[in-house]
Amino acid sequence: MADLLFEIGTEELPSWYVQEGSAALARLLAERLAAAEVPAARLTAYATPRRLAVLAEGLPAASAVREDELRGPPAGVAFAEDGTPTRAALAFAEKNGVGVEALERRDTEKGSYLYARVRRGGEPTAALLPGLLAQVVKDLPAPRKMRWGTQETPFLRPIVWLLALLDDQALELEVAGVRSGTTSRGHRFLAPEPFAVESPARYVAQLQDAWVLADRAARREAVAEGLARVTADAGLEPYQDAELLDEVTDLVEWPFPVLGAFDDSYLELPEEVLATVMIRHQRFFPTRARDGRLAARFVGVSNNRVADEAVVRRGYEKVLDGRLYDARFFWRSDRRKSLSQHAWGLSGIAFQKELGSMADKTERVGVTAGLVLGALGLGADTASVVEKALPVFRADLATEMVYEFPELEGVMGRAYALAEGQPTEVADALLGGVRPRTYDDDVPATAAGAVLSLADRLDKLVGFFALGKRPSGSADPFGLRRDGLAVARVLASRGWKIPLDTLVGAALVAYADAAVPVDEQVQHEVVDFVWDRVAALLQERASVPVVRAAIRGSRSVIGAARRVELLRALTQREEFADLMALFKRAANLATKAEETAEVAPALFREAPEAPLHAALARARDGVHDLLAAAEAQLPAWDLRAGPPQALSGVGQASSEVVSLKGPLDAFLDGVLVMAEEPAVRRNRLALLNEVVTVLRLLGALEELEGIEQ
Amino acid sequence: MLFQDLLFRLDRYWAGHGCVIAPPADTEVGAGTFYPTTFLRALGSAPWRVAGLAPSRRPADGRYGDNPYRFQFFYQYQVVLKPSPEGVQQLYLDSLYALGIDPKAHDIRFVEDNWESPTLGAWGLGWEVWMDGMEITQFTYFQQVGGFDCRPVSVELTYGLERLAMYLQGVDHAFDVEYAPGVTMGDLRRDFEVQHSRYNFEDSDPELQRTLFDAFEGEANRLLQLDLVYPGYEFVLKCSHAFNLLDARGVLSHTERQGYVQRVRRLAEATARAYLEARGELAPAANGEA
Repeated sequence: MADLLFEIGTEELPSWYVQEGSAALARLLAERLAAAEVPAARLTAYATPRRLAVLAEGLPAASAVREDELRGPPAGVAFAEDGTPTRAALAFAEKNGVGVEALERRDTEKGSYLYARVRRGGEPTAALLPGLLAQVVKDLPAPRKMRWGTQETPFLRPIVWLLALLDDQALELEVAGVRSGTTSRGHRFLAPEPFAVESPARYVAQLQDAWVLADRAARREAVAEGLARVTADAGLEPYQDAELLDEVTDLVEWPFPVLGAFDDSYLELPEEVLATVMIRHQRFFPTRARDGRLAARFVGVSNNRVADEAVVRRGYEKVLDGRLYDARFFWRSDRRKSLSQHAWGLSGIAFQKELGSMADKTERVGVTAGLVLGALGLGADTASVVEKALPVFRADLATEMVYEFPELEGVMGRAYALAEGQPTEVADALLGGVRPRTYDDDVPATAAGAVLSLADRLDKLVGFFALGKRPSGSADPFGLRRDGLAVARVLASRGWKIPLDTLVGAALVAYADAAVPVDEQVQHEVVDFVWDRVAALLQERASVPVVRAAIRGSRSVIGAARRVELLRALTQREEFADLMALFKRAANLATKAEETAEVAPALFREAPEAPLHAALARARDGVHDLLAAAEAQLPAWDLRAGPPQALSGVGQASSEVVSLKGPLDAFLDGVLVMAEEPAVRRNRLALLNEVVTVLRLLGALEELEGIEQ
Repeated sequence: MLFQDLLFRLDRYWAGHGCVIAPPADTEVGAGTFYPTTFLRALGSAPWRVAGLAPSRRPADGRYGDNPYRFQFFYQYQVVLKPSPEGVQQLYLDSLYALGIDPKAHDIRFVEDNWESPTLGAWGLGWEVWMDGMEITQFTYFQQVGGFDCRPVSVELTYGLERLAMYLQGVDHAFDVEYAPGVTMGDLRRDFEVQHSRYNFEDSDPELQRTLFDAFEGEANRLLQLDLVYPGYEFVLKCSHAFNLLDARGVLSHTERQGYVQRVRRLAEATARAYLEARGELAPAANGEA
């Protein structure tokens, strides 16, 4: 057994690639080692901004030996009449590296053929690895590689060194003009000299001596600890931001936290503005005072241990001061105009060439929002908030602050609205109306915000679909899938039972006077598109058939989401699968009914008919109870996750539904549905039709055919 | 350290590493990248090393001299090394030593920053270099220029000289930087900055600039067809500046703006093609868009 250490030393990698690249390298190497029959027992990935490395332990000394039998030409063409081998036989032997005399003739069902026994493998691992590793470097998946110097082999950033060590043996390979060695490098400034790695097992410890924390998890922990330490010393608490913690972890090889301060007077800025400037522009951690408010202190994480920390701190403070100065300038200058004055600026901001400006867009959103309010039957309170918010909805897009910090859209709308004395509800609606921007973002907190958010997204979807700019494959340049997801999440989070086509229809109306033609075709496409997003969300909860059954049996998003939960509960019952098999037979037969008819007990002739009729009444109650329970227990939730609580207390109702199984079974087995007598036949078909109708209230159960329990 | 000493030291340092210390171009450019000594020389196979002061103009960035960091006319220091050498990061760090900055005493970071110039049909990957949180240099490995793959790859270093000088002299506004004994940057540039800011934002004649753009564009095309690459390229630069003036004046709609960008880009690509053709290095396969 041998251990391999492979390190690709680079110029600074993009921080987002450090983790991704390290995982990709480990995965690819594991795959290639396995394919070469020298699998590793254990793989550990290491990564810093200047290196991707893998420790592969427990490699066999040589690749596994395998004997393969390979079929060659038919015996008939392999030998001449005098028994000497023909070219076909010679070529086959040569190709497989065996002598022609070693070929065996064997009779098979398809005739007589020549066979070669070929031993493969047994190659020393040390001989295999150089070529394999070089290919791994070339094949490492990455989104955007670059070339450098005169090299043609692209990589994320230029490769500076390669380290390949099999136990104490150096492996020689060359990629992109770089020859491998047995040395690594420490921290760029604190341990700049290359050093020899003694053994794969010593790699991490030796790097640690050279001021590099190669284990990413340990480095992340060190960043978090350092952050906690310097803030605690100052009586502060760090601002929690996992994304920033990850990014900072991959911007340093060893973290040195530095606590700095900015002028108290900047605290007049909204917290989100302060935090955005610190986090996005400087990768500094904001801090909170014990009372929870943002403090005028921050933590920068340096990559260098310097003799005089004050130099670094002063640098950080000065840069941050410049940024905050700008932000305050925007904050003050933006407020010289009211939001409604900023709204005039929307006509100068393009939404999309053929769809007009942002002013045109918000006008349409107003029409849609009005229709959505009506369709939802929301109260006068919500309507009045929406009405007040509409004239300034997205007006913050025209402010300098949002121009400079686009991620503050909505946040600034809210802040400027509050600053000019608008009611909190209106301010909240302005923020909610642009949420959720991403999958991680929260849904709008209020009904008014949700109405705006829906109207805004639907307007965009309808407009872009009308232009034929729908996403295809992985290409979604306008982020329409994100909009579809937002519509689905917002609807479910409010528990609004509005049919999707009604909702999309509202957005269509707003386009009536637009230059772009919108029609029912666009409406169908958008509705289907949103349903696809709903399906994607719900598939986190249940299998594809269950999700499809729930969606095809629902008109509203929340209905589909609740049916998924119900079907999850039902499919856990053993009898349900049997019931589904019977449902399918019943549904097939029921299609034979030529006309709808009421079930008439007087026309029952055979014994199983009345029991089924009775069971059906109980099942109908059960189904209604289930739907009512789902509505009561699961009123609303954000589909990004499962419902806040599991469906409970539905055992009785489920039993009533599945108890249909016995009588239905008896009916289908014991009764000739297509009876001679037309009235009897019609009655039996009507009965089956009822069964199907009742069960289908739970969803399009025909989708569940063949579903595993 | 005086601003001019900064220039002397950088010139000397990079001359010591084989760079031609070239005088600035005499046509208005938006950045050192537009200089013929960068844009054209990054094309083709011939090795090349050049460095020097690269005054640049971005009309929309003018702030009438009020903002300590933003100007419509500013001094970049531009270095191009072709092919990009091994150890170029260390070479760069050593240049900081030459300026009296000890990288060991600071938090110096290479933070991903990818560069793209839609008007030049050029893009590259690299970093912005941070010193104690302040961006002091752009570091770019050119991948494509004028729509053509760069073979070999050049690396471009662009120093934000004014910021470095502010830092070294401990002043808060670029105009307070001492350029030569008793002469500040403000003495040299303040009036120029204020007047040009006014011109760019308030008093330029958009109709004239549109007319000029059309005329420059026609001339660039005519000259390029005559294989007059350098004169042709000068007219491309003039187009680019006319467009920048229109943009600063705020008279371009979004679509119109895109249109102008495309027109400059087409000219830049035509220039690159003519340059390579004249050198017998036009490999049609090298350019997917040709």
